[in-house]
Amino acid sequence: MVNLTAMTDILNDSQDSPEQGGKGAISAGRASMVPPFSPVLLGGLLLAPIPNVVLRPLLRAVMASVTKQHPGMFERLDSHADTIFLIDPVDLPIRFLLKADAEQPKLTIAREADVSRATAAIHGSLLALIDLLEGRVDGDALFFSRRLLIEGDTEAVVALRNAVDGEEIDIIDDILVRAGPLARPARRAAKVALRLARRAGADMAMLQDALLQPAMERIETQTAAVDHLHQSMARSGSSRRRRASKTPAVQG
Amino acid sequence: MTNRKAAKSTTSLALGPTLFHWDAERWRDFYFRIADEADIETVYLGEVVCAKRRPFILPHIAAVHERLKKAGKDVVLSTLALIMTAEEMDEIKQTTVDADLTFEANDISTASLLAGRRHVIGPFVNAYNGGTINYLAKRGAYRISLPAELSLDTLEALGQTKAVKDVSLEVQVFGRLPLAISARCYHARAHDLHKDGCQFVCGNDPDGLTIETLDDEPFLAINGTQTLSDTYCSLLAELPALKAAGIDSFRLWPHSCDMVQVAALFRSALDDAMAVEEAEARLDEIIGDVPLANGYLHGQEGRLWVEAAAE
Amino acid sequence: MATTGAKAKPETILGDLELICPAGTPAALRAAVDAGAEAVYLGFRDETNARNFPGLNFSPEELADGLEYAHARYCMVFVAINTFPRAGAPEAWHRAIDCAADLGVDAVILADIGILDYAARQHPDLRLHLSVQASASNAEAIRFYHEAFGVRRVVLPRVLTVEDIAELNSQIPVETEVFAFGGMCPMAEGRCLLSSYVTGKSPNITGVCSPASHVRYEERGSEMVSRLGDFTINIFQQSDAAGYPTLCKGRFVADGRASYLFEAPTSLNVLPLLPELMAAGVSALKIEGRQRGRAYTAQVVAAFRAAIDACRRGEPIPEMPQLADVTEGQRETSGAYRRAWR
Repeated sequence: MVNLTAMTDILNDSQDSPEQGGKGAISAGRASMVPPFSPVLLGGLLLAPIPNVVLRPLLRAVMASVTKQHPGMFERLDSHADTIFLIDPVDLPIRFLLKADAEQPKLTIAREADVSRATAAIHGSLLALIDLLEGRVDGDALFFSRRLLIEGDTEAVVALRNAVDGEEIDIIDDILVRAGPLARPARRAAKVALRLARRAGADMAMLQDALLQPAMERIETQTAAVDHLHQSMARSGSSRRRRASKTPAVQG
Repeated sequence: MTNRKAAKSTTSLALGPTLFHWDAERWRDFYFRIADEADIETVYLGEVVCAKRRPFILPHIAAVHERLKKAGKDVVLSTLALIMTAEEMDEIKQTTVDADLTFEANDISTASLLAGRRHVIGPFVNAYNGGTINYLAKRGAYRISLPAELSLDTLEALGQTKAVKDVSLEVQVFGRLPLAISARCYHARAHDLHKDGCQFVCGNDPDGLTIETLDDEPFLAINGTQTLSDTYCSLLAELPALKAAGIDSFRLWPHSCDMVQVAALFRSALDDAMAVEEAEARLDEIIGDVPLANGYLHGQEGRLWVEAAAE
Repeated sequence: MATTGAKAKPETILGDLELICPAGTPAALRAAVDAGAEAVYLGFRDETNARNFPGLNFSPEELADGLEYAHARYCMVFVAINTFPRAGAPEAWHRAIDCAADLGVDAVILADIGILDYAARQHPDLRLHLSVQASASNAEAIRFYHEAFGVRRVVLPRVLTVEDIAELNSQIPVETEVFAFGGMCPMAEGRCLLSSYVTGKSPNITGVCSPASHVRYEERGSEMVSRLGDFTINIFQQSDAAGYPTLCKGRFVADGRASYLFEAPTSLNVLPLLPELMAAGVSALKIEGRQRGRAYTAQVVAAFRAAIDACRRGEPIPEMPQLADVTEGQRETSGAYRRAWR
């Protein structure tokens, strides 16, 4: 029996609020994104015991494949070659660091200690991150899609989104097949699985909403009551900064 | 190696056109006082923001023009920044037909009408570089009033471009900076009205209406279809650097504070007759509790106040 | 219209409504061409164009490839070099024009007078279009640019009503192109300093407005606050669709009342006005959104292609539910084309 609260606790830490515009600090733990209730989340828990030593050569192969298929991408990221991106699929137990240096692009597994080195971060469900990679996230919607949380050097994240959008990356064809983790015959099955995962994810999200609906309604009522209290307090005796109105002593 | 143009011995103080919708009599009396008492060389006159306001000042323009000229002021008639209809264009054509008058073009269409005649290019026409300034100067512009967002570096570079040495360059040094113009009237919108039935509510705010963010921070100011900074530009400390860069005309935007005193203050500062600290203190007394900014000139966000570094 | 490189499309009818589509990246260019654009517009990877966003735009090599792809499919390519060069350093703009001309683009889109002068003198055969950033909002201004530099088409500022545009078209010797879809500027473009007031960067000089470098989102309890530089642009409840903090699309307080004072975060969509725009003599529709991505481009271009084709056949314009996904804040407007917008 899946315990939603327990999973959320494991995957959430407390967050810092970002600092001065555009280059805020990256949260030490997961940012306050609740991973969507989806097959990836359930599948991810099964992945947890897989050792990094298995994953590392996989990541190198992925990078080699991407660099070969899409050399223009890193050229586009030239102005942000020093950025260290934290790619954080919130419904998987691993996170990645990406350094988009055109000479030597690197994709590695992020350990706890590495997170503070990141200067930009993208948090989101795996499916949301795949959407980003494959150019299905609107440039204007990047910041507020609610499926993705952007932190740190926002300009670098925009650059990354524009760079991958310009490349027509297909995660299964370009990466999983060419880099080796999937044999070509498995390609079609993988595509179908991805489609199913999306649909199932949508269904599970609906189920989750239905289960939580009564609680949400109670919260909404309470929030409205609190807001009302705030407004009453604000109206009585607030010190709103007002400019002294200027009445000229003489005309002109 | 910066080839600094020797600072001209005469620098011109100019009063920009009143951007706000002042009551017609107030407008007239303001300029009568300026004629009688203000120590400035150039006065710009005319409606820049909204064609609907023009009928109010029209009855008084001739009298004001005459009084200013008698007082020895250079008078330049300013025109609309945004011209959208054939009617508005026709009115401008009729106004500018008098070849004895000097006009300021705030839209490229008006500049085109004035080609071949001596005219001023106002700050609402994009003159950002030598190429553009040379082109406009060849067509009769004797002065370019520059857009507010140019930094000192840019101004210095402008001062070195060939033909520019024959053209007067003007910089805005006091007042709320015009930042944008629109077809939409924000004053009307703020009062739930449409531009066509605006009831001239912009007349309620002689210095513009301050706009705040949801966090109560003062942000911008609106004046009919125009958006301005909330902060008042003040470049008292930067006047020497501007002169050294080759700027020879300095524009003050009229506000409801005592502009005669403001002009006198800037005059003293331009003539090096007053220390900057004293001038700034005196300005504070005149304008009251108003936030100041000079960020653009320092190549930064326009809203910032940058303390003058020791030269 | 005479062009330098594209094959003439066999079924092009004089007076037809062309579809001019955004190409932020080479992939988006291909998507736009494949979706049926008559022309795509793009910029180089620097501040010579008004969408100077990181990771966006074309290198000269990518432009050459894009030209080949587009021209082979009867699609034209316009290059936007529409910002205002800094004093003392016009070289980047001159190089951009030289490069575009040498590669054989179909037109360049310019705004600065000095740059128009350069292009007209150095490349007399290069077709010049006037950018919306030139703020040419009346017949006199448009005639000036035509007579002085030989401009053949003007992108109209988004401040004119359809009636204004019809009148204008009867008075000018150049083609008109109007914005049809995407983000809207409530201010006269090319002359707006709001962004540089808050962030130090403007669309006029740097080619950006409300740049990402100054964007920050903050969570405050159940609310999300969007900030640009040092100012709060909007506050959203958790359930609301949040928005990008474009300066003029936020909520502000005037006389104690909060509202979307300047402009609500809506998307322009002229689909309902298509027949009127055709009747007003407009030559081309411009889709805004080089920074939106190739999925957006493909979707919007396909929808407008279908709509224009339907209009040409005298059929009613079909419903376009797929556009709902890409309209900002899921709200649409006909903007300044209707007088009521003022």
